[in-house]
Amino acid sequence: MKREKSHADDPRLTAYALGELEGEERAEIEALLEENEEARELVEATRALASSLEAQLAAESAPGLSAEQRRAIEERAARGRGRRTARLLSWRSVAAVALAASVLGIAGLWATRPEVGVFGRRAAQAPAGSAWKPQLSVPANGRYVRRLDFGFGADSEAAQITMLERSGYTGAEGTVSAPPEADGPARRFDRDGDEVELLLRSLGYVDSAERSTEEYERIVENPFFPPRFEPLSTFSIDVDSASYANVRRFLKSGTRPPPDAVRIEELVNYFPYAYAGPGDAEAPFAVHVEVTQAPWQPAHRLVRIGLASRAIDARERRPANLVFLLDVSGSMNDAAKLPLLKRALEMLVLELGERDRVAIAVYAGSSGLVLPSTPASYKVTILESLERLGAGGSTNGGEGIQLAYRVARKSFLEGGINRVILATDGDFNVGVTSDGALERLIEEEAQSGVFLTVLGFGTGNLKDAKMEKLSNRGNGNYAYIDSLLEARKVLVEELGATLETIAKDVKIQVEFNPLEVAGYRLIGYENRILQHQDFDDDTKDAGEIGAGHTVTALYEVVPAGRGLAVPGEPELRYQGEREASAAAFAGELLTVNLRYKEPTGTESRLLALPVRDDGKAFHDASEDTRFAASVAAFGMLLRGSAHCGAATFADVRTWALESRGDDEGGYRAEFLELVELAAD
Amino acid sequence: MTRRDDPTSPPKENWVHAALERHEKALTLYALRLLGELEAARDVVQETFLRLCKEHERDVEPDLAAWLFTVCRNLAFDVRRKERRMSTLSDEKAGGLASEARTPGESAERSDDLAHVLRSLAGLPAKQQEALRLKFQHGLSYKEIGRVMDESLGNVGWLIHVALKGLREEVAAEDVARDVKGAEA
Repeated sequence: MKREKSHADDPRLTAYALGELEGEERAEIEALLEENEEARELVEATRALASSLEAQLAAESAPGLSAEQRRAIEERAARGRGRRTARLLSWRSVAAVALAASVLGIAGLWATRPEVGVFGRRAAQAPAGSAWKPQLSVPANGRYVRRLDFGFGADSEAAQITMLERSGYTGAEGTVSAPPEADGPARRFDRDGDEVELLLRSLGYVDSAERSTEEYERIVENPFFPPRFEPLSTFSIDVDSASYANVRRFLKSGTRPPPDAVRIEELVNYFPYAYAGPGDAEAPFAVHVEVTQAPWQPAHRLVRIGLASRAIDARERRPANLVFLLDVSGSMNDAAKLPLLKRALEMLVLELGERDRVAIAVYAGSSGLVLPSTPASYKVTILESLERLGAGGSTNGGEGIQLAYRVARKSFLEGGINRVILATDGDFNVGVTSDGALERLIEEEAQSGVFLTVLGFGTGNLKDAKMEKLSNRGNGNYAYIDSLLEARKVLVEELGATLETIAKDVKIQVEFNPLEVAGYRLIGYENRILQHQDFDDDTKDAGEIGAGHTVTALYEVVPAGRGLAVPGEPELRYQGEREASAAAFAGELLTVNLRYKEPTGTESRLLALPVRDDGKAFHDASEDTRFAASVAAFGMLLRGSAHCGAATFADVRTWALESRGDDEGGYRAEFLELVELAAD
Repeated sequence: MTRRDDPTSPPKENWVHAALERHEKALTLYALRLLGELEAARDVVQETFLRLCKEHERDVEPDLAAWLFTVCRNLAFDVRRKERRMSTLSDEKAGGLASEARTPGESAERSDDLAHVLRSLAGLPAKQQEALRLKFQHGLSYKEIGRVMDESLGNVGWLIHVALKGLREEVAAEDVARDVKGAEA
């Protein structure tokens, strides 16, 4: 309950002081104010500060648009909505490049960038006096000067900075203004833009948090392999979806994600697919394969392998022994981190039953147990412990993990789910131990039956690869949580899957028939490739699959016998055609082999499924396959893949729109939004 | 910042004109804070209004301010993204230089009482600064700020709360420091 805490930490008081509270909450605070002087003083202080801020911010000068820009807007407004004249047809692209060009000006990179010419193009398209008149002047030496006005009203003269830019620009008719008055100190900027950066930072314009320390492991796309030389393709399944949430975060903040942050299999596996489960069959999951046209390369075939695991009703779920290990280091002190984490865990706790147990451990400068293992029926106790958490101190994840595993082992539920849930922004040092030692620790603990789930929070400090690796070592999964909606999806809707493993070490090995396949390429799963001999080696670890989950993998296949070239195929001097087996003449395209273990088993079981290609066109494929294909194409485009063929974001949008289906949960609709953001 | 409450529906160009009159300067200031360069900020604001021209009045009018700030912010982030792609500054360099200088407007002659809240403001994390400016400079409600910054209502409340708390503490610390100085003198 809030009473124990200082009121200075209650955002509702601030909201109340600013007139932002309504209804019940407002009444609650008013009641509190009646009786509590500290709260009254806080409200007063907040209001005083607010009015002083308002007054001072109102005094800041606002330069507004130039007269020409205003005129351009009013002209457009007068023409009415949606109509564009010829002059404006290419406006968007011109504007985009022009904006980029103006930014280039800041970076001082004119001389090395072809975009310089854009000013000429822009100038040529815009009549004199249009909104786009650039403020350029051409000194005798052929360099031009661009003036940056920082707009501090009366003080602005002092803040005007003239930048000299090295360029071969020679001017365009009627658009080059007279040289500016020598009204500011002329400064030359380094090519790398450091000085400008420094200036902007000192002005408070550039956010230091944007100097991102996010790390992503480099992904080298799988190439095409000819089955004549490389008949097998072996990989571990992956049910992680963190990359999708991460990509979404980038796109929503107006940024394309770095290519290595885009893991295509995680994008594809973010979405629920309606593959039928195993029913009464013995295996814990069913395998469905569909072959159709690759939409981005219509001469190629697309093979979709879909796994659907048996669903388990939340009531039938085995009891859970959960140890939350929460990062409360200073870097978690952000609205998108600790507060979001608290609310996410609250939601999870509310879903738990009386047979479940929860413990909370934290780590920062030192680590400690906030809540010993407690039956989940004591919800209030658990929620209060969550509420009391605050951020501070540096991170020592290693110690925290040892503590969490100790607690989990102490309250181990035989036959139940035993899991450590690590929530962090990944700013994670392991004290004296190395990363490798930490991974070993997690791997050992996984063998004792305590698995690990990693939840990533926040931005700017995310050690993506490290977190994924940790969760993989711990037979676990990794999800990136950027919003309450995502928290609900991961922790509540997928509770069964997140907590209940129904098969582990699931490996897929596909054998391609060289008579039917000239080349094949696994889309995504680059980090999950296994050695072929590891497929049959039961000591080799692989991905786990939770209850009611689906897993999708896609291959792009170049069919044999149609004279199609396989991209990147080497010519071998000493190898001829190998002799095909009798089975190769049966017309099968490939065989999917699958190995898995029961959650507590040590011996794997094998499933094998031969697949034929019945020549299905893309538009005849199932909605799920078409949607998965559009997500894969989206990922390929974002990664700048060499295999995109003719696909564009507009194509992705069309394919996805046509395969949306029922879209329970609205995930596919959100995907369409992201495609549009990326296309812009 | 006052709000437009005109219930009548003026012709198209008047409607955009009124929006321009009312929000142009605020948006430019906002974009300037995000981008740090007036010409880029102006380009972004111009584009924002040009996009407004393509909208139906009835679609955007109820939330006009939030619409404008949202579009303006997204466009500004587009520009920043391109900027970042083209200029790289290593962390060491950035870290070492971060806290030295102040805005020209805040240099010595303006370090009087009036400026010191703003000076403290400049020391807050960018997101908190942005939320405070949207609230106190541009008069947006928590709900509108949430829409503009793509944050939940709770997060906005939290951001503003933490920011104000930080400011209060900062200002109090400065007051103490000045009192001590005054006593020494």
